[in-house]
Amino acid sequence: MTAFLETTVDKFTFRVDPACYYNGEGVWVRIDGGRATIGLADYVQQRSGDIAFAEVKPEGTILVLGDFFCSIETIKIDISLSSPVTGKITRVNPALQSTPEIINQDPFGKGWLCEVDLSDWEKDRTLLMSAEAYFAKMKKEAEDEAKPK
Amino acid sequence: MSDEHPKVVIIPCSGIGKSFGTVSRMAAFLVTERDLPEQTCLVPLALLVMGDEASRKIVAESKAIAIDGCKLACATKMVLQSGGQIEQSFAVLEAYRRHREFKPEGIAELNKGGEQLADALAREIDEVVGEVIKREGDSHA
Repeated sequence: MTAFLETTVDKFTFRVDPACYYNGEGVWVRIDGGRATIGLADYVQQRSGDIAFAEVKPEGTILVLGDFFCSIETIKIDISLSSPVTGKITRVNPALQSTPEIINQDPFGKGWLCEVDLSDWEKDRTLLMSAEAYFAKMKKEAEDEAKPK
Repeated sequence: MSDEHPKVVIIPCSGIGKSFGTVSRMAAFLVTERDLPEQTCLVPLALLVMGDEASRKIVAESKAIAIDGCKLACATKMVLQSGGQIEQSFAVLEAYRRHREFKPEGIAELNKGGEQLADALAREIDEVVGEVIKREGDSHA
């Protein structure tokens, strides 16, 4: 069982998977050899609300880090996500078609978005945040948002 | 079942501040005021939360259709907590997935998409109400 980094702000508890890297939008990357699994961080899914639709670029799409690769529509907002890696999409989570709320239910597990065959991970990694760095950024954002305006 | 009130009660989400909550309430108004006023009535969720005896009695003695604005499903939960029987729960999010062309926006005042979604949801609820009425009629025949 994963021991998440965790913080509670107001009545919300946000978790960060320590085994992942993160981009500034809260897209996580988990590396397994030359392949990456990509998903949406817990904080982003919680603040965005219930997900109505999630559409990932089709399998076979070549991505360069920073490319748009996924759109998510929630009951509150529409989000366009940028790829945290360079490579080719080899698999899109089939569950997103019928049950996109799986991202809300299990953002670091069954709610993954896609798998990518990496082509330049060593370079990509230098542009991503460690779990600890993302946790600090996310915590500050959550605390700032909770402050009375 | 008592004959003093309609056979089917509609309990929408009371969520204030979100489009999907507003859609749930508009759909409830359409069913109870426009489509099937003789067969249905609306019970505000707030009255159940406050423990209003008359509202709890109506819910406990009727078939209930809950319309939930979000995954917390407060309407469904309050019906059950009030001793009622859920005939069917509708989730606005699921309705939107079935009618993606009707994207709801606005809160105090829904946009056209929100109104169309409420209308589509109301018509789905009308069908369920019709089935309940028919079944009740058959069982009393």
